[in-house]
Amino acid sequence: MSISVDSTAVHAAFGASLGGISYPMLADFHPKGAMATDYGVYQEQYGTTERATVIVDASGLVQHASATGKRDMEALAALCKEIDSKHGELPQGDTSAGLPGASTLFVRDHCGASTAVLRARTNLHLDAMAVKNVSQSEESMKELRDLSGAETAPVLVVDGEVKAESIKILRYLADTCTAL
Amino acid sequence: MIEIGTEAPDFNLRDQFGRKISLSQFRGKKHVLLLFYPLDFTAT
Repeated sequence: MSISVDSTAVHAAFGASLGGISYPMLADFHPKGAMATDYGVYQEQYGTTERATVIVDASGLVQHASATGKRDMEALAALCKEIDSKHGELPQGDTSAGLPGASTLFVRDHCGASTAVLRARTNLHLDAMAVKNVSQSEESMKELRDLSGAETAPVLVVDGEVKAESIKILRYLADTCTAL
Repeated sequence: MIEIGTEAPDFNLRDQFGRKISLSQFRGKKHVLLLFYPLDFTAT
């Protein structure tokens, strides 16, 4: 998981700008830097956290802590393997099944909520999810009206089921499309 | 910086999908890799 003092909205935009990031990007936003402070990596004079890496094992113990600028990903991966092999067996994780069926996302222009769901679609790499912009297509608007009985967007239709309200859609996507 | 062998402090922060994520939810289930960095959209 990644952490910075940026807000969740900025994390969503940043993740999407990088082509989609599905692991949790945590917002150590309010109180500012509180989590980083607990881990001893907050830099008061800049109002940001150091570029630091901490590994916590499944027992809750810190197994690694460093702040050496650019990360050596190979060394980190090897260290992760070592910690995993030394630790006792852990339960097999749930592998998320993904969306249960075909999905279509209805969005409209000039809509922050629509943008938020579009970013989640990118972050979760849901390329198979069709996108229909009702502001730009009368046909899409009619389809939305027929399916949901209203003209509000964003609306997500999954396997025939209509989901409205961006917060609910975001939670649904995160819960079904990532395995935490 | 926090020391190896100590108990990691719990946290409860929101992620880019609006979920609340805590350290304790992974206890007994997964090891956790925490990547701290200064700011989005910058090379800081």
